[in-house]
This record gives sequence, structure tokens and C-alpha cells, in this order.
Amino acid sequence: MNGQKAAQSLSLVAIDVGSVNTRAQFFDSVEGRYRFLAAGEAPSTVGAPVYDLNAGVLAALEQLQEITGRSLLAEQGLLISPTNENGIGANALATTFSCGPALKVITVGLLEGVSLHSVNNLVNSGYCQVVESLSLSDRRQPENIIDAICLTLPDLVVVGGGTNRGASRSVIRLANYLALALTLIPEKQRPEVLFVGNDSLRQEIENLLGPITKVHITANIRPSLDLESLGPAADQLGEITFSIQARKLGGLQQLHDLAEGHFLPGATALGRVIRFLSTVIDIPKGMLGIDLGASNTTVAAAFGGELQMGVYTGLGMGSGISGMIAETHLPQITRWIPIDLEDDFVLDYLYNKPLFAQSLPTSPEELAIEQAAARQVIRLAIGKSLSIFPADAIYPLPGTVPWFDRILISGSTVTRAPRLEQSLLMILDAVQPVGITTIILDQNNLVNAVGASAEIDPMLAVQVLESNAFMNLGTVISPAGVMRSGSPILRIQMVRDGQKEPVVEIKEGGLQVLPLPTGKVADLYVQPMQNVNIGLGAGRGGWVRRVVGGAFGIVIDARGRPVQVASSFNRRQESLQSWQDALSGI
Amino acid sequence: MLAPVTYIQPLATLRRKRRLPVEGLVLVNLGDLVHCGDAIARANLYTKHIMLDASRALGLQPERVERHIQRSVGEKVDEGAIIAGRRGVGARQLRAPASGQIAAISEGQILLQVSDESSLLPARVPGQVIDIEPGRGATIECICAWVQCVWGNGHFAEGNLQLVGESADHVLTADQIDMSLRGAILLAGHCHQRQALELAGQVPIRGLVLGSLATRLLPIAEKMAYPIVLTEGFGEISMNADAFKLFSNHNGEQATLNAQKSNPILGDRPEIIIPLKDVGRPPQPVQMQSFRLGHSVRVISGAEKGEIGEITTLLPASTLFPSGLRAAGAEVALSKAGEITIPLANLELLG
Repeated sequence: MNGQKAAQSLSLVAIDVGSVNTRAQFFDSVEGRYRFLAAGEAPSTVGAPVYDLNAGVLAALEQLQEITGRSLLAEQGLLISPTNENGIGANALATTFSCGPALKVITVGLLEGVSLHSVNNLVNSGYCQVVESLSLSDRRQPENIIDAICLTLPDLVVVGGGTNRGASRSVIRLANYLALALTLIPEKQRPEVLFVGNDSLRQEIENLLGPITKVHITANIRPSLDLESLGPAADQLGEITFSIQARKLGGLQQLHDLAEGHFLPGATALGRVIRFLSTVIDIPKGMLGIDLGASNTTVAAAFGGELQMGVYTGLGMGSGISGMIAETHLPQITRWIPIDLEDDFVLDYLYNKPLFAQSLPTSPEELAIEQAAARQVIRLAIGKSLSIFPADAIYPLPGTVPWFDRILISGSTVTRAPRLEQSLLMILDAVQPVGITTIILDQNNLVNAVGASAEIDPMLAVQVLESNAFMNLGTVISPAGVMRSGSPILRIQMVRDGQKEPVVEIKEGGLQVLPLPTGKVADLYVQPMQNVNIGLGAGRGGWVRRVVGGAFGIVIDARGRPVQVASSFNRRQESLQSWQDALSGI
Repeated sequence: MLAPVTYIQPLATLRRKRRLPVEGLVLVNLGDLVHCGDAIARANLYTKHIMLDASRALGLQPERVERHIQRSVGEKVDEGAIIAGRRGVGARQLRAPASGQIAAISEGQILLQVSDESSLLPARVPGQVIDIEPGRGATIECICAWVQCVWGNGHFAEGNLQLVGESADHVLTADQIDMSLRGAILLAGHCHQRQALELAGQVPIRGLVLGSLATRLLPIAEKMAYPIVLTEGFGEISMNADAFKLFSNHNGEQATLNAQKSNPILGDRPEIIIPLKDVGRPPQPVQMQSFRLGHSVRVISGAEKGEIGEITTLLPASTLFPSGLRAAGAEVALSKAGEITIPLANLELLG
């Protein structure tokens, strides 16, 4: 149905099935460039009472059809064909999914800090939950390990260990325990095995485990001690995830077949986009992508084309709020709420949200709680991701995120905030970037579609990314270091159209906006004071060339890192309001 | 827009498929009548093993020890029985440290299963077995009055329904709980007293149905040994009028309280089932529908949470709400609060 991509431009429908919402998005060529044109949305139907995600897909497509006035559906099914002419159906279909429960995975490695760590990184890059881990340092008796494996009834076991010229007997010993345990599980319930260890052991592993269960083998994720290579294994994990989920989730296989293989986990699609965008950024600065979903939050970071991913299942804004609550003290949420609310009111809202994941905040109070919760969810996800960011990135302040040249954020709570300054503040408060960063808002929730469509027509992906479908909120300069309250920390001079503007002195505390209209280009000379670092080194300044203006121009986040919020409500309200006012231009 | 549904049905035919997570043994037959606590299947989920290293015990390489192992997989052995050994006087032997069954033999290692704690699969709902899945479970059908809830603490029980108070917003307190309530399933609008929950467990009651529970009592409710379900959620929310009316009509009757945890993928929700007799065979609940004018709905979020009303107008996706968000909405005529404008996302159909 999709066929090969046409030499001329094509029209494309992208479908994204989430745990709460299913989206259908339409892309086509307008005046020689691909554009995002319209979207339909419907509640996801993967669970009760329908148990078939295609009902939600159909509803989303019907809405898309109504909006575009374009026939996408017919009696015989979806009108997708490479030969469809203009105005009828579309030429191609790409799909992504992030619905369904996380896979239960057991991870096996030799050393906790080496192979097991890499296996866990691999598993955490997908929609998986590690339910048990085994390594050589496991103090349990072998029979207890076997009993633990049997008790968890995992969906998948991922086995790593041994560099390509390294340990082999120890890997086989662990594999033997695994084999014993698997024989005790009834055949139909046995988990599949993914081997990502010593390449020289492939045949032995296949001989040992192949007769017992389905074994997948891919390249060693730790070919040497100092190299972790997750790419091929992550792709394989994505395919295995799909095949297991397809047995559990009604309609997933049919949707996959309809898409003729252009079918990705949502996190993988996000990762592709982030990795691609990182290739146009000067190393060692990186590209960060965050997708704040209802059930999961994905963090994708790429430096010079090297991608690291973390998919935090059970951490999100719908059912995933329970995961956030379990790791959070209430003050970590209420510190971001500018309204005086009783603790019980906040708790009631947060604990009810997972029961009704699709519900929306209708009052200013509820909105404030949701946006505060969103900050905490993202902060937790970023905190868990710190260990996967490369050590050789630029860290203007130890213990914080590295310098990201750009941050792209997706997820309705952030992208559909009633006011743009709310979106930007959620990102700045949650991620607390350091250095000089452009913030990009995925206001139409397109990033998954772009990632999935890239293999159909890379030009579509590139042109949609460059279009105003993704909103540039502005470039944020976030100095870090020892800064006295109220003292000057930075001087900035903008040069626009060859004209030098007055030097602006920035004092510690608060946010300040330097106007630069959307799309306008300027050069900035930034000179931090001693002990203040904007990414070039303490006290070191320089030119920042060709900064493109966004919705908020240039934003200087002089609040320091970490951002401190007063514990007393009056002072807190004053601060939160002043930050919002600074962005809204009041 | 497709609408989520909460079922509050005075008369329904329910079918529940109960299934073991692994192969096991089905204990019921077609046509059997079961109560919620009856076991309908059994599987070995909690086995324990001992690993015996025959290679080390006999002082032989793994590849040479196999022929000295005198048992086979599946064989039962008594404590002290020889499992592996070499011939000859004073030869080294491996004996069973406990009674059990040989579970696996591999690479000179012998896995001895020493404990076989069967896990029984309870019916969790009363009714008649109408279908058997060999080795896995059964489908149970029940003709009943049925109320779905939003939260449960995982337990289940049978008992007689006992309303505490006369209104859907009645607050359950410790001074209302005494031995006369022993064995009952209590119903009330709200509880915010830890002592009430604990005292109820001491009486003991069979179960507790509330409209809402104070959020700070959640950890305590999770630990109670009796089932607790909430029809509305956390906070101070009255039980919805339809559910309260149904329970009032069946006050004193036998009911099953299935406080299972919600699982949207499987469709599991906590529920109360009141078996009915001599009522014919009502249809099964209708599946998903869209929101339409005249539909009876329940508000699931916001100041009017728990209220029931009727859709009078459907509004477009650009409808602006006080929070500043825009979404598809509806005007709903509530029985108490008059007409309100609310996002469709904050409504559930009542089925």
C-alpha cells in the first residue's frame, strides 16, 4: 500500500496511539514544501470496553477527514496508496505507539557496574520495566535466583556480559541458571531471551537456550570495556516489544500490517528526531528531547549523532502520576503553585488524576496543580537521566544537566498550556538548563510522526521540522556559578542588522527578556562576571552567532542553579508571579 | 467523541473470565455454581527449590557426572535418598537434603523442588460456570445488579449490604461501628477517620463501600484486610445518586464486593455484584458509545465531581474553560448544581 517513496512529493497520514489519546495527522506538500496541515484526535480504545485500538484510530481518522474535507476512509478501508492522486486519501502511512503496559523484563549481566549497567540502560530505553536483575555479585543462592525468575513471570530476559574478547564461562554459568529456570516455566508462558553479550558466545547461547525458548541475538552492547553501543540492540528490542505487545493488545498487529512496517514505538521515533537534530549541533553541545506522556516520560539526548534514551514507564501525567507521587514529597510540587491551596486539595487532585487519566483541569487551581506536577515529573525523569548523559559533554555546573544547544519538548500538558509563558516556565523550572539553549515546543505533538515518516521520505521530516509547526520559544541564556543575590552577573550586547544595541547588565535573580522578534537573527556578545559560567568556562565570554528570535526573544534565566523557591507562600507567590510577568511582558 | 462508561445497572448479565497466569488445573465443571471465594483453578506459582551440585559432590567434571545421576526429572525422592553417586565402598554420594521432586538436571546441577505451594484462583464473582478453558480457567456468568467503582484495595468478600446513614453524603465515623455490623458490607458516603477503618477491621466487617475516602487514609486502606472500594475517588465526595439509590434498594441483601485493582487494558475495575434470582435473562452491558444529547453522565473531575446529569448541548473543541484550556465540551443539567459547562474529557457515560 505504501510502496516505495515517490520521487515527487507525497501526502502522508501519521497515526500515534498513546495510552489516553490516539492522533491522526496529515502532511502534504504546499508550494513545494512539506507542511503539517491538520490533525484529528480521539480517546484511545486499547483497553476496556473495546479492547481494539483500531476503534480509536478510526475515530481519529474520521475527525481528520472531517477537518480536511479529504476522503481518507472508504468501505474497503484506509485510502492509502502511492498512486493516490491529489485530494483523495494519502500516499503513505506511518504509525507510532506508546500504549500498553510496560514489558516485564529480567536483566542479566556479569558486573553490576559494567555489563549489567549497560543491559539496564538498554532496557530502560524502551517501554520496559526491570523486575529483576542478576549478576555475578548476586549474593542469593542459585535456587533463590531461579525461584525469583519463575515468580516474576517476565515477558523478556535480556542477557549481556563479556566483552568480545572477554569473559565467557561466567556468562554461560549465568545462562545455565536462566535455562534451568526457564524449563520450570510452562512453555507457553516462557519469556523470550535477547542476548546482547560476548559475540563469540552466540552459538553456545543459541544451543543452550534455543531449545527452551525463542532466542534473539544481536551485537554486543559492550564490545569493549570503554565502549557501550546500544543502537542495534535497541532496534531489536523495539521489534521484540512490538511482537510481545501485539499478542496482548487488540488491533496492534492489524495496525502494523496496515502501515506495512512503517511502525515504531513512540520513543524510538522521538529518538530518531533528536539524533538527527544533534548532527547539526557543534559537539560537545547536545540536543535534548522530552516527551511528557500520560503513562510514560521519555528523555532522549544526543551528542554528535550518538543517542542516549531513557523511557520512564510509570512516570507521567495520567496513570503515571502515581509513579511521581511515590518519589515525591508534597512541598516539591506545591513550591511551583502560585495559588494558596490546602494540601488536601492538592493531594486529592493528584491522587484522583490516575483514576481518570483523560480528565482536564477546568479551574485555575487545578491547572496550577497539573503544571506543578508536570515540573516534578520532568525533574524526576531528568534526574534519572543524568547517568546516561556522556561524561565528555560540557557541564557548566557539576551535578546539573550538560549544555544542550536545543531542547525540544512534547506532551499536551506543556504544549497545550493556555499561555505560552506557562509552557516556557514549565520547561525552565523542570529541566533547569545551563548555558545557551533554544527551546522548541512541539505545539502540535508531531515529533513521533516526524520520526516515523523519516524513513518514508526524509525530506518530509526535515521540512516539517524547519516549519513553524514546531514553535521556537526563544533562546535562553542560563548562567551558572557562585552568584550573590542581586549582583551583576552578565553583560550582553545584541548586534542586529549591523547595529549594536546598548549593553544590558543582568543582575542575579529572576528572568529577563531581550526582545528579538520571531525569525529575526542577531549576534550576541555575552560577558559573564568572574565565577559565572555560560558554558564557555568560568568568567569567559564570547560571541553567540546567529541567534534566531523566538516567541520570547532572548531570555536570561538569572535565577541560578538549582532554582530556589521560597518556602513561605507570600514570597513564593511573589517570585512565581514575577517570573511569569517577566515573560508575559508585564 | 467516544465516551468512557461506568456501569451502574439494576439488572445485568455479567460474564467474567477468570484465568491462571500459567498452565494449571481447572477445578470446576460446566454448570457449577460458585461463590466469590470458591477456587476455580490451581497452579504451582510459588515453588521453592534447592540446587544440588552433583559435580562438586562427586568430585567429577560436569560432563562426566551425568552417568552417575540415578534419578530422572519428575521423580520424587525422600529426604536422605541417594540422588547421585559412584559405585564402590566409601564412594562419594549426593543425597536429597529434603523430600521433593527432581525438577531439572543440567550440567551437573540438580534442581530439587521442595515446596509446592499451589496458588488457588478464586472466582471473585458469584455465578454459574458457563465456559471452561482447559488448564487455564473458566468463565462465570452472573445475573445481578452491578455497580462499577474507581478504586479498590485488592481484596474480595461476600456479605449483606448495610447502609450506614440515610444519605449519599453520610460520613462514616468510628462511633457508628459496633459488633452488630459484624459480617456486613458497610456503605457510606465518605470516611476521613483512621479509627473508623481500623475499628471496622476489628469487628470485623466483610467489606466497605464508600463514595470517597480522605486521601491521607489511602495507605491505611491499602493495608486493611477487608475489601474497600470507592465509587467516586479521593477527597470529600458524596456517592453518586444512581449508585446510592441502587444500594438502598438492595439494603440487607447478599452482595459480593470485588475490590480488584483497576487495569484498563484488561478491563478490570473494582465492583459490587448483587446476585438476583427469577429475573429472566437481561442483556449484557452495551459497549462503547459516543456522547450524545440526552445521555446520562457522571462528572469525574472538578467541583461537581460525582454529580449526575444529562447532556443538553454538545460544544465544539474551541470551548474555553476557566483554566484557560480549550476543549470539546458539553452543557450538562445536574440534579443539584443546575446547568454547567464541562469538558467531555471530564464526563463518563452511565451505562
